[in-house]
Amino acid sequence: MIDFSEYSPKKPEVYAYKCPECGTLDYPAPMICKNCSARRDPSGEIFSAWEKVLLGGRCKLLGWTRVYALPEGYDEKYLVFGIVEFKNGLRASGRLLMDNPRTGMELETKIGIVREKVGEDVYGFMFDLPKK
Amino acid sequence: MRKVAIVGIGHTIFGNLSKFDLVDIMSFASANALDDADIRKDRKIIEQVFVANMGGGILNHQTGIASSLVSRIDLEPAMAELVENGPASGASAIKVGFAAIASGMVDVVMITGGELMRTVTGWQGTDFVATLLHPEAEYNYELTLPAFGGMFARMYMERYGLKEEELAMVAVKDHENGAKNPYAHVQIPCTMEGIYGSENAHIVNNLIADPLRLYGMCPVSDGAASLILCAVDSPKMKYFKKKEPIMISGIGSATDTHCVHHRKDPLELKAVRLGAEKAYAMAGLTPKDISFAELHDPFIILELAISEEVGFWGRGKSKEAIAKGVTRIDGKLPINTSGGLKAKGHPVGATGVSQVFELTKQLRGEAEKGRQVKSPKHGLAVNFGGFGNNVVTIICSKE
Ligand SMILES: [Zn+2]
Repeated sequence: MIDFSEYSPKKPEVYAYKCPECGTLDYPAPMICKNCSARRDPSGEIFSAWEKVLLGGRCKLLGWTRVYALPEGYDEKYLVFGIVEFKNGLRASGRLLMDNPRTGMELETKIGIVREKVGEDVYGFMFDLPKK
Repeated sequence: MRKVAIVGIGHTIFGNLSKFDLVDIMSFASANALDDADIRKDRKIIEQVFVANMGGGILNHQTGIASSLVSRIDLEPAMAELVENGPASGASAIKVGFAAIASGMVDVVMITGGELMRTVTGWQGTDFVATLLHPEAEYNYELTLPAFGGMFARMYMERYGLKEEELAMVAVKDHENGAKNPYAHVQIPCTMEGIYGSENAHIVNNLIADPLRLYGMCPVSDGAASLILCAVDSPKMKYFKKKEPIMISGIGSATDTHCVHHRKDPLELKAVRLGAEKAYAMAGLTPKDISFAELHDPFIILELAISEEVGFWGRGKSKEAIAKGVTRIDGKLPINTSGGLKAKGHPVGATGVSQVFELTKQLRGEAEKGRQVKSPKHGLAVNFGGFGNNVVTIICSKE
C-alpha cells in the first residue's frame, strides 16, 4: 500500500526530498527526479525511498501579500503570505510572521500550525525576522 | 485538419443566479445558442456535447452534468462528456470540441460552460477554487488564488514600476465596457475619483490581497455560456444560413508547474506564452494581426501580464499602453470589450466559453452600441487555469 501521508504533515517539520541517484533536492516530493528521471516510491518497496532532508534555516523573501479575506475562526485582520528562497536554492510558499515585510529581506524559518482541521493540526512554514 | 466554424452562441446574464439550478442555467444558455443558430427544431443534428464545469460536484452536489444537460434540452442520443480544467474548463471544452470536428469524428458540436457559485458563502467559493492548488505546499497554508494574485501584483509592480493608479485605470476601463454589456454581472461604471486618490477611495476600494484592492478583483458570479460548432466542409452547414459563421483559426494550450514557487521567474507566465505561440502558428497569424482580445483577469494585474506574454508588447510595457489608451474600446487594440472577468464576472466553468461568445459577437458586428470594435478581423482569448498552470488561447477570425 502506498503511503501518501506526507501530503499532510502532522509533525512540526517540513522536508525536502533527495534523489538517491543524483542527489537533487525537491520540495514538495516529486514522483520523478527533474534532473535524472529516477523514480521515487513512497512505500520504498519497488524503488528506493528518498532521503528526507529538513528544510529551513535562513531564506530570502521573493514576494508577499497580506490577505484580508479569511475563513471564519481567525481573529487576525489579515494573514501575511510570502514566497522565499532557501540557501540551498529551493523555494517555498508559507506564512510570514511580521506585519511589514520587504521584498528581498532575510528571514528565519520556523515551523508552526498553519491550518487547524477538525482533529488534526497541519504544520508548515512560518517565516520570521532573524534573531539578532 | 478540417476547418471549424462557430455557428451559434448563447449566454445567460452573469450575477447571482443562486435561486436557479445549475443544469437549468446551463441548458438555458444552450437553448439560447440553438435559437441563435436557428436550429431549435433541428437540434438533433448536434452529435456531441462537451460541458465545462469545475464545481458541480463540490458546490452543487451534482455529478453527471453533461448527461443531465443533454436530457434537459432533449438532445438525446447526442454523445456527452464533462471537461474540467479549473477556471480554464470553458476553453478546454472548446478545444476538445474543435478536435472532435477537426479529426473527422463528428460534424456538429455544442459546448456549454456554466457555474453556480453563489449558493455558498464568499469564503467557501474562494476555498473551492483554492482546491486546485498543491494540497501540501500551498492549500494547507490557507493560500488562495487571490493570495497568489496579490503576490504576483506586488512582484510585478516592484519590478516594472507599475503604480496603483495605473491598475485603477484598467478597472475603470473594464467597468466602462461592462456597463454596456447586458450580460455583465456589474453593469455600473466606476470613476477614478471613486476608487483611487479621493478621501473615500480606500474605504470603497478596500484591500483584499495587498496590493490588490476590491476593484482589482472579479466578483463571484453564477452564469453560463454556450457555442455551436460545425465543420465548414459538412453538408450540415446548410442549417446555419442565418448568421455569419466565425472561424476558430487557432487553438493552443500549455501547462506550467503546479507549485508557483517552482517557477524560476514567478512573473513569467510560460503556459500563456507557449499556448499563444501554438495558436498563432495554427492561425498563421502574429500578435500584430489581432484586432481585439479577451484576457482572463480575475485579478486586474493578469490582464497586463497576459497582454505582454501573448506578444502585444514587451514585458513591463503595459503601463505605456494604458497611458495611451490603446486597450480602450476606441483604442488600437481593445482588451476585455465585454468588461472582462473584472466587470462581467467569473463563473469559472463558463468563462472560457463566454470569452469566445464575445469574440464571435464582436466579429459578427453584433456588440452593443458603444462597445463594438471597429471592423475587427481577428480576436484572441486567453483562459487561464490554476494560477497559470494550464492556459488555453483561442483565436477567432472573420472568413
Ligand atoms: Zn535524480
